[in-house]
Order: sequence, then C-alpha cells, then structure tokens
Amino acid sequence: MHDEANQQILLLLIILFPLGGAVVNGLLGRYMPKSLVTLVGVGSVAVSFGLAVTAFVELYGLAGRDVEHPALIYQFYEWFSIKLPRGQVVAINVRFLMDSLSGVMTLVVTGVGGLIHLYSIGYMGEDEGYPRFMSFLNLFMASMLILVLGSSLPVMFVGWEGVGLCSYLLIGFWYENRVYASAGRKAFVVNRVGDFGVLIGMFILVGVAGSFEFTDINAAATGGQFRADFPFGILGVMPSLATVACVFLFLGCTGKSAQIPLYVWLPDAMAGPTPVSALIHAATMVTAGVYLCCRLSPLFITSDVAMAIIAVTGTTTALLAASIAVVQREMKKILAYSTVSQLGFMFAAVGVGFFAAGFFHVFTHAFFKACLFLGAGSVMHAVHAHGDADIFKLGGLKKVLPITRWTFLASCLAIAGFPLTSGFFSKDEILLGAAAQIYRPDDALQHGVGWFTLIGLSLAAVMTAFYMFRLYFLTFTGEYRSADQSGDHPYDAHPHESPPSMSIPLIVLGIGALFAGFLGLPHLVPITGTHLPNWWTHWMESSVAGQPAPEEMHVVNLASGLAFGAMAVGISAAWLLYRNKSRDALAEKMPKRLFQLAFDKWRVDELYGATIVNPIKQVATVAGRADMTFVDAIMTKLPALNVREAGRVFSRLQNGVVQMYGAVMIVGVVAVLGFFWAPHSHIEATFEGKNVGLTTPPGLGYEYRWDANSDGEFETAWADAPETSFEYEKRDVRDVAVFIMNARSGVERRIDVGKEWVRLPVEAVAPAATLRPEDVGFEVRVDGEDLVFRRPDPPTLLAGSKELRLPMGKDGRLGPARVFSRPVIEATVEVRNAFGNSRRATKEITLPFWLEDAPPHAALMSRGPEVVR
Amino acid sequence: MTSHSLSWLLAVPAISALVVLLLPRSWEGSIRRFSIGAMLVELVLSLRLVFADYSGAGYLFVEQMSWVESFGISYKVGVDGLSLWLIVLTTLLSPIALYASWGSITTRIKEYAFSFLLLELGMLGAFVALDLFLFYVFWELMLVPMYLIIGVWGGKDRVYAAVKFFIYTMVGSLLMLVAILYVVTSYKELAGHYSFDLQELSTLVLPAVPQYLLFSAFALAFAIKVPMFPFHTWLPDAHVQAPTGGSVILAAVLLKLGIYGFIRFAMPLFPVASQVIGPVLAGLGVFGIIYGAYAAWVQRDLKKLVAYSSVSHMGFILLGLFAMNRTGISGAMLQMINHGISTGALFLLVGAIYDRRHSRLLDDFGGLAKVMPWYALFFVIITMSSIGLPGTNGFVGEFMILAGAFISRSSIGFGSSWFVMTLLAATGVIFAAVYMLHAVLRIFWGKVVHSENESLTDLNRREVASLLPLLAMVFWIGLYPKFFLDKMNPAVDSFVSDFTVRYYEGRRTAEPHLIDIDELKLKLEAARGLAMAQPLDEEVAR
Repeated sequence: MHDEANQQILLLLIILFPLGGAVVNGLLGRYMPKSLVTLVGVGSVAVSFGLAVTAFVELYGLAGRDVEHPALIYQFYEWFSIKLPRGQVVAINVRFLMDSLSGVMTLVVTGVGGLIHLYSIGYMGEDEGYPRFMSFLNLFMASMLILVLGSSLPVMFVGWEGVGLCSYLLIGFWYENRVYASAGRKAFVVNRVGDFGVLIGMFILVGVAGSFEFTDINAAATGGQFRADFPFGILGVMPSLATVACVFLFLGCTGKSAQIPLYVWLPDAMAGPTPVSALIHAATMVTAGVYLCCRLSPLFITSDVAMAIIAVTGTTTALLAASIAVVQREMKKILAYSTVSQLGFMFAAVGVGFFAAGFFHVFTHAFFKACLFLGAGSVMHAVHAHGDADIFKLGGLKKVLPITRWTFLASCLAIAGFPLTSGFFSKDEILLGAAAQIYRPDDALQHGVGWFTLIGLSLAAVMTAFYMFRLYFLTFTGEYRSADQSGDHPYDAHPHESPPSMSIPLIVLGIGALFAGFLGLPHLVPITGTHLPNWWTHWMESSVAGQPAPEEMHVVNLASGLAFGAMAVGISAAWLLYRNKSRDALAEKMPKRLFQLAFDKWRVDELYGATIVNPIKQVATVAGRADMTFVDAIMTKLPALNVREAGRVFSRLQNGVVQMYGAVMIVGVVAVLGFFWAPHSHIEATFEGKNVGLTTPPGLGYEYRWDANSDGEFETAWADAPETSFEYEKRDVRDVAVFIMNARSGVERRIDVGKEWVRLPVEAVAPAATLRPEDVGFEVRVDGEDLVFRRPDPPTLLAGSKELRLPMGKDGRLGPARVFSRPVIEATVEVRNAFGNSRRATKEITLPFWLEDAPPHAALMSRGPEVVR
Repeated sequence: MTSHSLSWLLAVPAISALVVLLLPRSWEGSIRRFSIGAMLVELVLSLRLVFADYSGAGYLFVEQMSWVESFGISYKVGVDGLSLWLIVLTTLLSPIALYASWGSITTRIKEYAFSFLLLELGMLGAFVALDLFLFYVFWELMLVPMYLIIGVWGGKDRVYAAVKFFIYTMVGSLLMLVAILYVVTSYKELAGHYSFDLQELSTLVLPAVPQYLLFSAFALAFAIKVPMFPFHTWLPDAHVQAPTGGSVILAAVLLKLGIYGFIRFAMPLFPVASQVIGPVLAGLGVFGIIYGAYAAWVQRDLKKLVAYSSVSHMGFILLGLFAMNRTGISGAMLQMINHGISTGALFLLVGAIYDRRHSRLLDDFGGLAKVMPWYALFFVIITMSSIGLPGTNGFVGEFMILAGAFISRSSIGFGSSWFVMTLLAATGVIFAAVYMLHAVLRIFWGKVVHSENESLTDLNRREVASLLPLLAMVFWIGLYPKFFLDKMNPAVDSFVSDFTVRYYEGRRTAEPHLIDIDELKLKLEAARGLAMAQPLDEEVAR
C-alpha cells in the first residue's frame, strides 16, 4: 500500500530542525545573545511548521488522486531488530509516516507549538534560564514530532518517552523550588507506569502481528488475528489477545493523557511555566494517548471489552475532573482539571468507537485550551502572579486586558460548546457517538456503556460550561480585587496588557477556537435533517477505523439537545452565581464537607499515598535495611562464624596430648579396615550393538561372578575380570518398561506400567485407539482426561510404538508424542575379596533396543493414531 | 590469522606492568603518563579486532600453543561476537578509569599503575581465553589487583571490603575449579586424553544429573561475580570502599565476567542444567531487579545507590540471558556494554563530586544544578541512559531483553511464568526512574542549602575528557546499535542453535558420550523438518 509513496525527506527535516535548535540552545545558548537564542528557538519551529505545511499539501494532493491510503514515508535507517521464536526477524526501522491522521497532528503540533514559542519570547524573555527554556521547548517539539510521525511503535515510543522527559524538565524548570522539581519527578514516574503498559502491549502486538509497524498491526487486526484467546487466563477469565494488548496500551494512554488512575501528575504539572502548560499539558503531549488509540483504531475496535473500559474510564475521568474544577480557586489549576476532563471526553469518544470524533476534539481542544492557558499566562503576567493566580484576587480585568479578555471569552464559549464554535461541533459528535451506542442492537455491554457515557458526559458538559464561566466571570467581570492591596499577598495593583509577541498567538488561537469546528460539520443537522459534507470524517477515513455515524434523526436530536442543554444550563448557572460577584457563591451553598472534599481533589493523591506509595516505600526501607543486616548475615556472617567456630574446635583438638592423637589414629585405622573388610560393588552397563557389557568397579584382590540373564543362577565362574558381556534374547527378559517420548524434542519419560492400569495424567488427549498388546507389549487407552496403561501378564515382548498427539498439559508442551516399550533385564554380580567376604549387587537394566531381528520401526512412517506394523 | 593480535593484546599490559615495576618510585609523572599510554595502545590494538568479519560466527584471531602437554592445557585464545565488545569495553574503560584516578590518587602511584595494568591483563585474558585452565588462571589473576586496589587505596573500611570481596569470589571459583576438573576427567575417559580446550570439551555430553551439579558449581562462581541476589552483599561494600577508578572497573567490566562466564562456559557445557536451572536464575534476576531498585531508593550514600542499581541492572541481564533466544541474549550482551558505560560514567561522576566535597551523602547536597550546570547536564544524561530512555543506549538493551523474555519459549513448568517475569521485570523500568530521579532531585534541584556547596567548581578538563567518550557511546549505541548488534548476532545465533542441539542430546542420554555437533545439528534439523514422520527414538535404539 506504500507503493505510491516515495521517500519524503521533508518528514525528517520537520523533526531535525527543532532537534537542532534544542542542541544549539542547550549547549551554546548561555553564551549567545538573547536575540540569537530567540532566532534559533522560534525560527527552527517556524521552519518546521513551514515544512509541515508543505508536506501536508503534498499529502492532500495524494489524497485527491483516489489513493487508498495516502501517506508520505521516510525510511531513515534500521535501528535494531528482534527475532521471534519462529525465526522471523523483525526489523525496527527509524521510519516516519505522514498520513491523514499524523498529518493533521503534525500541523497542530508545529502550528500551535510555534505560536506558543512566539508567546514564550515575551513571557520568558526576562528569565535567566531563557536559553535553557527554549532548548527544552525545542526538544519537546522534536520528541512530539517523533511521536506523531513514527511509523512503528518503538519509534513512537522514543517520542513518547521523550515528551515525558521534556515534561519532567519543564515542570521542574524553576528547579530551585523543590516542590516544582518534585512535581516534575512525579510526572515522570507516573508516566513511566504508563510506559510500562505500552512496552508490554507492544510485545503482545509484535508477537501476534510479527511487526511493529502500525500499518501491519492494523492489517493483522482487520484480518482478525487478535481475536484469538490470550494463551492463558487472567484472574479466571480468558480475554482475547486484542483485549489484553489494548488494556496494556491503554494503561500507557492513561499515563500520558492523564486519565484515571494515572491523572494525578497533570494538576501538579502546572508548576511549570505557563507556555509549558499550554503546549505540553494541554494542546499536544497529553493528547498523545488519544492519538495512539486512533493510530491503532482497527485494533482497539476488535475488543469490545477494551473499548468498554476506555469509554467508562474516559467518562468517569471527565466527571471526576470536572467536579474538582468546579470548586478550585486558581486559574491554572482549574484549566488543568478542565484538560483532564476534556481528555476524558476524547477517550469516551474513542471508547464508543467514534475515533474520528475523539480526534476532532483533540484538534479543537488544542486551539481553545492553548488559548485559555496563554490567556491565563497573560493575566498572570499582567498582575505579576508567580506560579498560579487566585481568581478571587482578580476581577474586572476586561477593562485593562481587552485582547486577553475577548480571546479568553471566545475559548470559554468554545469549550462550553456554544453553538457554531469549534467545541460545539466536536462535543456534539462525541455525544452523538454515545447516543448511537444506546441504539446499537442487542448488546448489553454496549448499551450499558452507551447509557453511562451519554449521561456522564452530559453532566460533565454542564459542569464544564459552569466552571469555565465561573472562571471567566470571576477574572474579567466585577471589580479588580487586588486594586486596594488589601488581603493576603495581593497582586500588582496596576495590571497592563501583554506585548504583541504574546497577544498575537492569543488572537490566532482565539480565531481557531471559534472557527476550527467548521472542518467537521455534523453529518446530519438536528431537527431539519439536512445532510452536510463532513470534511473531517471523510479525511480521517483512510487512517482511522470506527463506527458509522447514525442516520436516525431521534439519535441526532437527542445528542444535540443534550449538548445544547448542558451548555445553556452551565453558562446560565455561572451567570447567576458569579457575574460581577466577588464571593464563591457555590461554596457557600454546598455542604461544607462536600466542598472541602472536592476542593481537596477527592483526596485521591492521599489515597494513592496511603495505598501504593507508602507501602512500597516501607518495603523499600525494609529491603534496604535488611540487605546489609539480614541477607548479609546469612551470606557472609554466618559462614564466617561457622569457619571461625570450626577453627576453634580443631585447634582445641591439636592440644598436644599424645594419647588423644593415638585414639584418633585408632579410630581412623578401624575405619579404613572396616572399609576394606567387605567388598563394594555396583553394576554399570554399556551397549554395543546387541551386546551388553556389564562392568563393576575393580577392587584389590576381588573376584567376580555374574548372572546376566535374570534367572537367579550365576552363569560364569569366579574370575578376576570385573566385566562380562552378554547377548540377550527374549527369554532373558524380566519386565517391560514403557516410555512416552516427545517426538519433537526427543525427551522421553519412563512410565511405571504394571499389571494394573496405570494413569498418566495429561490434560486432554487426542483420539487414541486402544493399542493391541501384541503390537507394543502393553495396552494404552484413554480414560477421561488421562492416558492409562496396562501390561499383559506375562509381559509380551513385541517391539512397537504408538503415536499420540498430546496437547499442552501439566507435563509441558508434549505435542506429538510416541509411546513405546523396552525390555528390562536384571543383572547380578557377586564379588568376593581376600577376606572371603562377598557381596551381591543387582541392577535392573532397560535395554535401549528391541529383542527382535526385524527392524522394529520399519512401518512407522505413517501418520495418525493407527499403528501399522 | 597469524598476526598474534590477541597475544599482543595480552603482552602489552603484561610488559607495561613489568616496566612500571622497574621504574623508580619517584618518577611519578612518567609512571602516570606511561601507564595511560600503554592502555591507549591497548585500545588501538583492540579496535583492530572490531574490523574483522564476524558474520561467520566462529572464533577469530585464534592462537594455540601447547602449555602443559600431559594435561592437555594449552594457551588458546580467540575472539567471537560474544567477547568482542566486552574486550573493547575493557580497553576503553581501563584508560578512562586510570586517567580519572590520576586526579585523586596521590599515594603509591607506582603500585596503583601496576595493579591497573595487571587488572587489565586479567580481564582481557579471561575474555579471550578458550582454554578452561587458562581462563581460570586469568579469572584468579584479576582478583589480586582488585583486592589491592580496594584494600590499599580504598575508604575507611577498605580492608573489610577487600577481604569480603576476595573470599566471596574465591569460594565461588574454587567450586568452579573442581567442576572443571570433573569435566576434564570425564572427557579423558571417553576421548583417551586430557584436554582443557573449550571446543574439544564442547563435544562432551553429560547426562542430566552431573550437569546439574557441575552447572551449579559454575553458576555459583559466576552468580557471585554478577552479582545475583542473594550473592550480592559484597558489592555495596566493595563499591563504597573502592577508589573511583576501582569502582568504575569493578562495575563496568568485572561484573560482566560473571555473565560472560555463563554464556561462554556454563551454558554450552551444561545445556540441560542451564535450561532447567536457568529460569530459576532468571527469576532471581527479576527479584534482584526489584530488590536492587528498592534498596537503591533508600540509600543515603550516592555510591551505594549506584551500587545497588547495578544489582538491579544485572538482574535484567540475567533475565535476557536465560530467556534462551536470540533477542534476549543479544539484548543481554548489549546491555552489558550499556551498563558498563552508564554505570562507569555514574561512578566517575560520583567520584568527581566526592573529590570536591569529600562526602557522598545525598543530605549534603541540593541545588547543585545552579553551581555546577555542566556537571548536572552530564549527570542527567547519564541518568537517562541508566533508566533506559529511548535514544540512549539503555533503552535498546532493556527493550531487547524484555522482548526476549516475553517471547521466550523456554520451559519453566507453567505457561505464564515468562509473562509474569517480564511484567515484574518491566516494573523495574518504573523503579529505576524512582531511585535515579530521587538522587537527581536530592543532589541538583532545590536551593543550595549547604554553604560549602556554594563555591564548588564545575567539571574540570580531566573529568570532561574522561566522560565525553562515554557520553558519545551512550548516543551511538542508543541511536545506531545495529553496528554493535550486527557483530554479535551471528555468534548468538550459533550459540542458540548449538545449545538446542546439545540440550536435546543431553536430555536423551543416560551416559556421557562425545558428539559431533555439526552432524547432530543436521540430524535434528532433518528430524524437525519431518516432525512426526521421523521416529526419533530410532536414534536412541542405535
């Protein structure tokens, strides 16, 4: 399918420019003038954006030409390879792919990212760490672009962890504040928990699909390869391969995209400079999880269970985060929880199979959330608030910050879902997906998920509209509450509008927040039922799977009604409670303890601390202490003690008392004599052809006589030679031994077969006919799940072999197996020594050959359970 | 090959060590320069090995000379893809460690240089020896200079640490010697003559039970060296007490000899036992990953923290090794190099701060990023390498090891064990971030709280010079590991297939016997190709 695509070095250059910028600013930045740092930092991203547009135009041209999967490819080099058990070598290539999905994402990343770089000139220009900041920001851009453009999971993973690193570095940018640095570490570690999931998911995928490439995995998923059961049950259920893989991958998504249970790092991440919050923790990095789900949508859609988990997690997160945002006091914190909540919306869309809708929300969210954060930054810049701004100390800023105010309002409308803004279209699509789920025929799981999602998201949408306008009204309407410099730590009394480098990005993003939604007009207009061309869904079709949009008008009307209603209720409530007000009216109306609990973020951090972090820390403390005491004591001190004590005992014995030495010597002599008094003997057998050689260890002055043929009579006379040889015939046999052998590996195992039936437990046995005793010298049949054996009496000696196919059982992976018998003889040797003492040794010997003339396996080339002789 | 490349490789440190011994004690500057020079010559000599063709999987640069003829002991050396990079690692890190030492070691310069050269000789000898006796000699030879380095130039409790190190290692290697002698005697009974030659001994197949015992004896020696939990308790002491250069070599190279011993000697000689006991060792490795990480997390002494991180990292390598497939073993081999580089660099960094502050306690630092920005940059990059961030060397190794363990078909009784082991091992990725970032947080972030730290100087030229090659390797292996893997993969492939053949042969046999591995391989291939059609038990009958 990639035949149409030729090598596109553009894709590499898009990544290399910011990477180069990061290196230059990182190593030399502190020796360069500020303007040069700006040029390198912002310029590299601007170039990258230009290249991305060029590439996208080319891709668009390809798509116009009716190519099935329009994509640009750049194969850089082979990174390394792994080898699968069947011998297949899977190369991991540094290879980039721009298709309809990653194309849009690249534009968002470079475009919004570029604006935020521009904004940073004004916002961070005075900071002494400005070059470092630009370097990290560029490094982030490069990592994010690798994440987006990587054509396989490992390459994506480079970006995936790279953005985590940048997030860590940027959250802790003001590292002198220990709290900020800790927040950075928390982000990294929590993300690593998610990365663990991605790693495991990746291994499952490559094990099945035999490739790390997204296109190959998706093809395998479409081909149904992931529908098979996972090789073993987990907690008593047998999930499909797709379910296990998707759940592990989704764990990674919850880490990167801040969903339950791993969302806790994102609110703390607001410790970073505001442009970082806008770029990384709102517009781009945190949407990587949604991006991954869309990237692998054909896989995810294979597993209903995983999809249900995603939808429920997304909805729950949306609700939980919104409920926290409703009561917070600080701008960035509210926006952070809002981000978590909106990401929940996106995952809910993914979970109900509306991948394109979820990704559309990623797209629109990038505009309005980046704009909101930059607006918040602009406010903080204006009032000289460091870290975060308490909205109850603000107010009335619409007069002094007109640009910030209008763009902020536009974004608030968009995120609340005001008609015809971008958020209106994308949120509507998501609710439509949830509603469609309810009407999907005959699937209890999907119905349940549909109802839960629809109701949950509607409630979350109400809260979204409410908390956003609470934020807006408290910040921009009423009176400026820090003007009189009363109260705790008031802000600057005379706020001022930001420089153009900060306001231009605001304006561009604000326009995007209002109008970007027109790319994804609804498929069906509610009430009227008019069909509209939906560019977005059509464009995404080539790279993203998903459920079809419903055609029924009542579904469309329900979704739109809920979306509009939620927005209206939320904004109205905020208008009534907070417009031109300065007090937290909601807090006063809520029960105090409920408010406190919500304000404390439902104490989830404390819960994790008590249930996960502290226990692990305690175990670690114990391990650390025990290692140098307990483990070391057993491994070092105890042996040392033994040696020392033994030394003391022996040194006491060396006491110079001659009688003592004499006594010890006598004991020794007696022991030696005792050893020589009676002869010692055991038998070793060697086989050469049909001859069996029997040997016993030689001893001084020993004589031997042998009974080789099992009859209890010694055939040979006393002789000096410690060995004899014997050719066995049928009549010399005492017993029959039965073996079962894995035909593949040749590993054999002896079964004790007697006159009674003997069981060999195998979990299940494929059809096995009763073996005739005259064939192999014993009977074998299947009883329930066991193989049972019986030896006839007297034992027959016919050689033979029986093929069975044993599935994986308790005894390991048997596979094709062979059952066969062997003759057993008994040999005895009697030894006597010069003292006249004698001793006998008897040994049962299983002969490794058949006592027949004809080759025993002449006719065994046939397959199947029948034995042919 | 008659270029005697390997003999030169061994001769240079041996001769240089003698020369150092003859130089007057007062010529300190000359001794310093001469020993570094000799090691750089070594580095160049070893780089010559890299450019040979390793696609054929056999030994290259083989030299053989009879030594004690009546016992079949010979001086036989050779290189293949398994030992190549370990040799280069040794020759790369030895001069770096010595060069870094010259910044802080001021007493008994002559003896220090002598010990280091002798140590390099021992390590290189052990990596190139293809004769069990020769290997044993070099194996023991390493012990003495390391013992001296810790015991003479170490910290406060140096004597205790040195003795502990010595006895631990000695106990293991004595049992190994007994096992070697057993193998050689068994071989003599069948072949009629003594031989310590690894390739000759490889034709010997022993039945399962003696294999278990012998493998256990070898495994003890190697597991102590690795070190595998619970045989690791000498390591924190040795590291904390050893001077910086000693720690670097100890972590970067000496520990690798344990794993190398497994893959070169214990596993090929006793395949049945390693197939059965190996998963147990892998399980202990997994335990060590988590245990080491936990223990590292709560350390207050930075050097101890890094020492415990070694226990954790070596656990990964054990896991990959006993996954018994190409992916896992190649990953383990690569990760050995990675660990050598990143932990070596970490010890250098710890040494740098110790030289300035004479403390390694985390409590004594904080806010150093402000005072020593370059130091912070180096430290963070090496930290990222140590915790396996993609793009750095650590990731490729860990990824291959985990993938190899995940797809391992090696039998351990029940189907999900490798899955569970991989899951547990992968949590090590999380914990690595926890303890390393904990250290970074405590050392670099926050405000400078101790006034002594305000005037610390950033990395000096010597330190940068010793760290830069390692930094380059971090990114080279991280971004283009194929260069390294391509040289080792054929050797690993052939190791795995030989191992498989010898494993089946060992399972089948009740008596020791000699085999022709190539012939057997063909036979097994044929038998596998025909699957059921070819009755394998006929082979037993014959």
